[in-house]
Amino acid sequence: MNRTRIVVVNRATRDYRRGQTVVRALRGISVTVETGDFLAVTGPSGSGKTTLLHLLAGVDVATAGEVRFLGRDLAEMTVEARAALRLREVGLVFQRFHLLPMLTALENVELPLAAARVPRGERRDRATAVLERVGLADRLRHRPAELSGGQCQRVAIARALANRPALVLADEPTGELDRAASRRVLELFRDLNATGTTLVVATHDLEFAAGARRRIEVVDGRIAR
Amino acid sequence: MLALNAIRQLRYRPLRTVLTVGGVAVATAMLSDMLMLGGGIQRSFSAALESVGYELRLSPKGTLPFDTEATIRNIGGIRDTVESVAGVENLVPVLAQTLSITAGRSESPEPTASRQTLALGLDADEQGLYTLLAGRPPGDGEILIDPAMATLLEAHPGDRLSLGISSRFDTWGSDAIAEVSGTAEFVFATRRDMPVALPLADLQALSGRADQASFAMIRVRQGHAPESVREAIAAVTDRVEVVTLAGIAEQVDERLSYFRQLAAILASVSLLVASLLIGTISAVSVSDQLGVIAALRAIGVSRRRIVGNLTAESAVLCGVGGGFGITLSIVVAHYLESILADFPGLPTTVRFFVLSPGSLATAYGLVVAVGVAAGLLPALRATRLEVTALFHRAEP
Repeated sequence: MNRTRIVVVNRATRDYRRGQTVVRALRGISVTVETGDFLAVTGPSGSGKTTLLHLLAGVDVATAGEVRFLGRDLAEMTVEARAALRLREVGLVFQRFHLLPMLTALENVELPLAAARVPRGERRDRATAVLERVGLADRLRHRPAELSGGQCQRVAIARALANRPALVLADEPTGELDRAASRRVLELFRDLNATGTTLVVATHDLEFAAGARRRIEVVDGRIAR
Repeated sequence: MLALNAIRQLRYRPLRTVLTVGGVAVATAMLSDMLMLGGGIQRSFSAALESVGYELRLSPKGTLPFDTEATIRNIGGIRDTVESVAGVENLVPVLAQTLSITAGRSESPEPTASRQTLALGLDADEQGLYTLLAGRPPGDGEILIDPAMATLLEAHPGDRLSLGISSRFDTWGSDAIAEVSGTAEFVFATRRDMPVALPLADLQALSGRADQASFAMIRVRQGHAPESVREAIAAVTDRVEVVTLAGIAEQVDERLSYFRQLAAILASVSLLVASLLIGTISAVSVSDQLGVIAALRAIGVSRRRIVGNLTAESAVLCGVGGGFGITLSIVVAHYLESILADFPGLPTTVRFFVLSPGSLATAYGLVVAVGVAAGLLPALRATRLEVTALFHRAEP
């Protein structure tokens, strides 16, 4: 299989200022994600997993070092240019889902498509197809309050997949779910990866991480193994 | 799309939405009513003045018509002088005098009803101070009465009334008898007044004020500017005050400056309340949705689109609340007008609240603009934050 480098992180450091103190969240980390990867990023709370995901997505930029997404240096792009890149090339899944409560599952999935100016008819078709793909064909008109936690997370995954991104990043996707729902999300991720979706998942859940193709452990801002 | 999302967001929190819409409606109603009150009296007074149809007024030096009981002496001479000025078509003198009017025959032991009222002595062919409702204009020995007076005295055309110049009612007697010629609605009558009109010469004779008038109305010939004719009259006689309708309106406006200041202050308070209300609701809404805003920014939804969505909420709240507010303001204005109609000394043609599309549109536009601006600030502040900072605030 011809594998393309989607994102390359080279000796990236990220510092945050908290009052008078500078907190170093990442310390010269290097990671490469290629097409077809299913990478699990593990580590204790505060180790820098979320910060690494934010750098991979271009949500945040490195204080030092370099992050290249499909060959483009993210540090040289404006905030809005990085947002536009994320809209089309990155799908994000959050621990707390962050679905709009007043919209139905279908409308939540349509949101990034609408933001990418996909025509209304095509938008609806693609959102329906991706919800069917995550097993929610019978929940299209339900609002988040009418869905279980696992179903909400699958809606969030569908939203992340809607614009057919090059990379899907998930931050603790099973953090709010029970074990059965976590297993279903893992199965879904494995199915998605098997059909070509590239995934990077930050997780505490070692069982979940064991289901990934590749795993790195981040401790104190560095890759431990 | 933005408005639709905003409506859904507002429907998602119905109690908050209803309370906010109610608050905006009350603020809009107050603002709208204050705008109507601010210019209402002045506008309706000007309209009443213009309805009379004469462009200039002549009054005793230093006064306005109806201001004092002072009269202009030698009105005949002044009339000749004024009518000789280029641009003057004619001058119509009017004498205003308090009369005691009594129904019943003087030979009967007791009067059936009496009333002290304002009488206007005028030339029935040259006036604009009343509109005939029934009967005919007053000729010699005749009197035209207000419908309320006709009801009070049970007087009908052809009935005879006793007229007394004394203001005392404890003596039964009369200085003259006049026959009722009809009824009329008087332009500057207050609700408590029941004015009457009789020929100028009759009232002058009855009140012992021969060749006197309380004020005079001057008609300007077509093609002449009232202001230049006023200046020409002022140049030929300095014994009287000559004012244009615009000048009277200006002076009335000055006297009503307290109303305008009060209305302006209350209108400003209403706007402030509306902006604080919308600003607070918008800030709470933004705070509630920080996680979603962070997620949308992270997904790549543009800042402009998110700000648009959040601001659309404020716009919908103000638009709907403002609409209810305008309706409420009309109802409140009618109610207040009915109370204030008894304001002492104010003609019934002069209104406190004059409904005008301009006032309503201004109130609505101001509330929507201020509300949207107040809603925009929290939205801009939130979306200016880095996505990581937004997440940190949403999930500390």
